[in-house]
Amino acid sequence: MAFSSTAAATAAAAFASGHRSAACRPSSKSSSSFLGASFPRVSAVRRCAASGAPARRAVAVTVRAQAASAGGKKSVLIVNTNGGGHAVIGFYFAKELLAAGHAVTVLTVGEEGSDKMKKTPFSRFSELTSAGAKTVWGDPADVGAVVSGASFDVVLDNNGKDLDAVKPVADWAKAAGVGQFLFVSSAGIYTTSDEPPHVEGDAVKESAGHVGVEKYIAGEFTNWASFRPQYMIGSGNNKDCEEWFFDSKNTNPPAKILANFQIPTRTNLRKKRNLAGIVRKRPVPIPGSGMQITNIAHVRDLASMLALAVESPGAAAGKIFNSVCDRAVTFNGLVKMCAAAAGIDAEIVHYDPAAVGVDAKKAFPFRNMHFYAEPRAAKEVLGWTSKTNLPEDLKERFAEYASSGRGEKEMSFDLDDKILSAVGVPVAVAA
Amino acid sequence: MMQIKGAHLYQVLHLKGDRQDFDFVKTSLAAKGFDVVYDINGREAVEVAPILDALPNLEQYIYCSSAGVYLKSDLLPHFETDAVDPKSRHKGKLETESLLESRDVNWTSIRPVYIYGPLNYNPVEEWFFHRLKAGRPIPIPGAGNQITQLGHVKDLATAFGLVLGNPKASKQVFNISGAKYVTFDGLARACAKAGGFPEPEIIHYNPKDFDFGKKKAFPFRDQHFFASIEKATKELGCTPEYDLVDGLTDSYNLDFGRGTFRKEADFTTDDIILGKKLVSV
Repeated sequence: MAFSSTAAATAAAAFASGHRSAACRPSSKSSSSFLGASFPRVSAVRRCAASGAPARRAVAVTVRAQAASAGGKKSVLIVNTNGGGHAVIGFYFAKELLAAGHAVTVLTVGEEGSDKMKKTPFSRFSELTSAGAKTVWGDPADVGAVVSGASFDVVLDNNGKDLDAVKPVADWAKAAGVGQFLFVSSAGIYTTSDEPPHVEGDAVKESAGHVGVEKYIAGEFTNWASFRPQYMIGSGNNKDCEEWFFDSKNTNPPAKILANFQIPTRTNLRKKRNLAGIVRKRPVPIPGSGMQITNIAHVRDLASMLALAVESPGAAAGKIFNSVCDRAVTFNGLVKMCAAAAGIDAEIVHYDPAAVGVDAKKAFPFRNMHFYAEPRAAKEVLGWTSKTNLPEDLKERFAEYASSGRGEKEMSFDLDDKILSAVGVPVAVAA
Repeated sequence: MMQIKGAHLYQVLHLKGDRQDFDFVKTSLAAKGFDVVYDINGREAVEVAPILDALPNLEQYIYCSSAGVYLKSDLLPHFETDAVDPKSRHKGKLETESLLESRDVNWTSIRPVYIYGPLNYNPVEEWFFHRLKAGRPIPIPGAGNQITQLGHVKDLATAFGLVLGNPKASKQVFNISGAKYVTFDGLARACAKAGGFPEPEIIHYNPKDFDFGKKKAFPFRDQHFFASIEKATKELGCTPEYDLVDGLTDSYNLDFGRGTFRKEADFTTDDIILGKKLVSV
């Protein structure tokens, strides 16, 4: 297997060269040792419904488990949240798995007929079912019943933010003998630091729900992995990210309106060739210096990282992965890139939220501070590479935004008007 | 050229001369016939040409370039494949890299960010230590959240050793610096920890509000500036030994903390800033 030879070769080089590399430290302090990664762990023996001669059954299942971990077809269950920024991860991950020939079931929390299912990515689930995925709905606490007793090699919990939500799924998976348990956590759990970036192994906020989950699954499973994302862009996103900036080129509404806004899935009938005609250029208010950096990955990157973990379970076992791209972007830079994607010039106005009297959390869609993690473990351990190219990805995103008709929606922009008037910037609204 | 204590133990031959005297360089090096060149201080391509001329059978030319060659970007960190800036202050380094490439010699280029460590001639950590020792506030331009990166000189030396005769380093560029980056404010705090000083008072100011003449008010470029070292980690098989506070502590204990430094403290610009006491975002 590629993963074990890479890990073994790197470890061998580290010890053979006899230089400073002897001080090499594995990137993930909280996980199993670097060398440990080169010995594939066989997934837990699966218990089967029928009782047979345990010894023979164990051997047969062990062989099959090894075959599965060596890259054979796997049965994967994705427990997916029904809203929020992470919803789209399950969608892209399912597609990657299906393309690689694995069997996929997506369990979306709640009911198939709920209003939440009218938004993307759920409204595009036909793309999954037509590729062979099963989609079911229900309460993750009853996961076994919801999946009608089916068994899986891999389970990804892309739903729970704390142990209350994840424990039932983890406990069921363990009892069912699931070989690999994956969890979508959050890079938001890292404690703030003077020294970016956040790397795997850095201190986390012990009280965070996701931390509780990571600790629990680390205790329950031999083969577990946790993925810590930041912000994502990508077609089918459930939560606005870059849309906030595209709106600014038009209307710049406050974030709380955006959260409930649904992007129409059908193309607006009006022709929108000349965007300059409909864009009401407004300055974009950015808190602070605009030098704050963040990490915005195309969701494809997260899906490919998860898929690699499924393909190389031994390498991924016991590891934490920052699920981000490998570039930071400043707020100022992001505005410039969005403007370039929209084909217009950016006008940025910096302001001090405290001085103006606004809550930056309401006025701006990103954390008002450096928030930057790097995907070092994924690169080192899984041989993963990032394909995010933010300037190019934003062009693609803008094209979809423009054709959606969202750019022409009437929206209020009370909050940024308040900011702009406090800063003393006149807003020329084009007819 | 500095003499390193203990060098005699390693039989170091010390040739003294002016690097700008190209004929001297060419003849003296040709006479010795070296296999490998470590060019630590070259700034311009013209300085390198005579060395290459003198040593036609050179096995490797290892050049200390600079991450300063990267074109400023909103997308960071800098990777070795990123665009470089032909107009930068370090364009001589770029021209040197191009020359090496064109001369078909087996070259390796190392791009450090900010170097620190005991005996640092560049007042990087020393700048902070002077102020901390004097109990003065630390004036930092802008918001203080600009991100920079420091690399301990010992780790840099290790990297220079690892590329020697290494096929993976042939005609390759490597960023070499610390494994983590640091904000300006964070660096002030790290220096305080390293020297056992209390947490410093930091004063932010808008550099545009002042005219410091020719004096430098702050030892770092006022922008984000950091580079990824993953290529070196992956290809050369090594990670830096020192993290920031450990490395600064090493520098403090072996240098400033013993009462030694390169430049006398000069608080002229600090006093200008503090006198005006302007604090802006």
